Amino acid sequence: MRALGAFALFMLAAVGAAALAGRSTAVSLSAAEREAILSHGPWPLPFAPDPSNRASGDPAAIALGRSLFFDTRLSRDGDRSCASCHDPAKSFTDSRPRSIGIERVDRNAIALANVRLNRWYGWSGASDNLWAQSLRPILDPRELGATAELVRQRLAAGPGFAATYATVFGSEIASDAPEPALVNLSKALAAFQETISSGRTAFDDFRDAFARGDAAAMSRYPMQAQRGLRIFVGKGQCTFCHFGPNFTNGEFDDVGVRHFAAKGRVDRGRYGGIAALQDSRFNLLGPYNDDAQKGTAAKTSHVEQLHRNWGEFRVPSLRNVADTAPYMHDGSLQTLQDVVRHYSEVDVERLHGDDGQRLIRPLRLSASEAADLVEFLRTLSGEIAYSK
Amino acid sequence: MRFLTIALFALSAAALAVPSASACRAANEGFVHLASPEAEIAYRLQADQLKVGQFFAVEVVVCRTPGTDAVRAVLVDAQMPAHGHGMNYRPTMTEIEPGHFRVSGLMLHMPGKWRMTFDLLQGDRHIRLTQEMNLKP
Repeated sequence: MRALGAFALFMLAAVGAAALAGRSTAVSLSAAEREAILSHGPWPLPFAPDPSNRASGDPAAIALGRSLFFDTRLSRDGDRSCASCHDPAKSFTDSRPRSIGIERVDRNAIALANVRLNRWYGWSGASDNLWAQSLRPILDPRELGATAELVRQRLAAGPGFAATYATVFGSEIASDAPEPALVNLSKALAAFQETISSGRTAFDDFRDAFARGDAAAMSRYPMQAQRGLRIFVGKGQCTFCHFGPNFTNGEFDDVGVRHFAAKGRVDRGRYGGIAALQDSRFNLLGPYNDDAQKGTAAKTSHVEQLHRNWGEFRVPSLRNVADTAPYMHDGSLQTLQDVVRHYSEVDVERLHGDDGQRLIRPLRLSASEAADLVEFLRTLSGEIAYSK
Repeated sequence: MRFLTIALFALSAAALAVPSASACRAANEGFVHLASPEAEIAYRLQADQLKVGQFFAVEVVVCRTPGTDAVRAVLVDAQMPAHGHGMNYRPTMTEIEPGHFRVSGLMLHMPGKWRMTFDLLQGDRHIRLTQEMNLKP
């Protein structure tokens, strides 16, 4: 059966390529390129509850999380919320190079669409689950700067909140200890964020048409984007890291972006992220994981801090990438053109890897190739939906 | 999610696939035999299909080694020679019974050509067998 399935897939890809050729386009695809294109779908991916979070997928928890996401009582000074840096009107980012909480932080606000699909959270992967990542900025003195006790007291005093909390978590917020209460609130925040998802895109329509050999449907995808797609899966080698339906392999890489957060201060990237993860009592090996089997904790058990992790940052999803400028962990690149130029001219002397990393090399794209690649990236945007 | 298949397309110069040894686990149990002039193992990947970014385990049975000392450990690792990097995770080994090991926590995070290495530790001896595989997207 497996062999038959593989054969059918090959035939579909071949038909798709033939259809492309039949349109007398400039785009011809190798077998590897066809395979890579098909690997970027189908989309969307089905929802699967997070076993570490008993609130995941619970409508009451999602509603609670949605209200908390916009609730300024989660900040020390009562003036900021999650949405301040993850604004739904800005594709759940803030359009700033680096976000501003109580202070300006070192990193760009990562877009939240499809966040439920992540393996690691944050630019350095300092969290291995979404509820721990949701809790972190509440306590970070540079971001919302609150404490578990402050948040618990404020929310417990609010009209009707205690009843909602009790409905979702089966306990009284006034009698829960501050830290478990904050973890519960973070699990509700995570349940809401799991609903934030990108809709289908022009690329998805093309990819599915390609899979079924539908030349008419394929012809609706702009030729410039097709050329850019070919660069993406071929010469650009982008698909090694920006892999699969969500256009990320969920891991980390050093792509030659500056690693100084400020003069004389280095952002350690993944190296520091692993250290923070392993020190955190909110990781999946800790007491707040609702999955007694800890079935999703293998990554945390096996992750290893390596010297090459210095200067590595998470490979972000490219879905809706055109809507989430500026780019890179420090927001140092303003436009998609800047990003493509970066990879076209990347300074390998800036790479920190000590193990012969050879994946990142200057692409030396022509002006037209760079424009094609940008056009392809623009076709990865779909309507962002979330529980309202 | 894309399904992926492993194409076991070549062994390293030091290794050579051989027919199943009677002392070893059979191919019909899903084991693949891997041998060099110095040693032979049988291994079985513990995943229905290997996928990019999916954790998997490998079961290793030692079939033949030089001398009489028992193999005390089997270390399994993987590298992408073309990219110059290995895995991001450190596998852990457990001995199921003498000469029979399970190594878990392996994850191949990119499509492409990977080289898996099986290092057998026997007394002071260190024997390496390698297997190349093409992890498709």
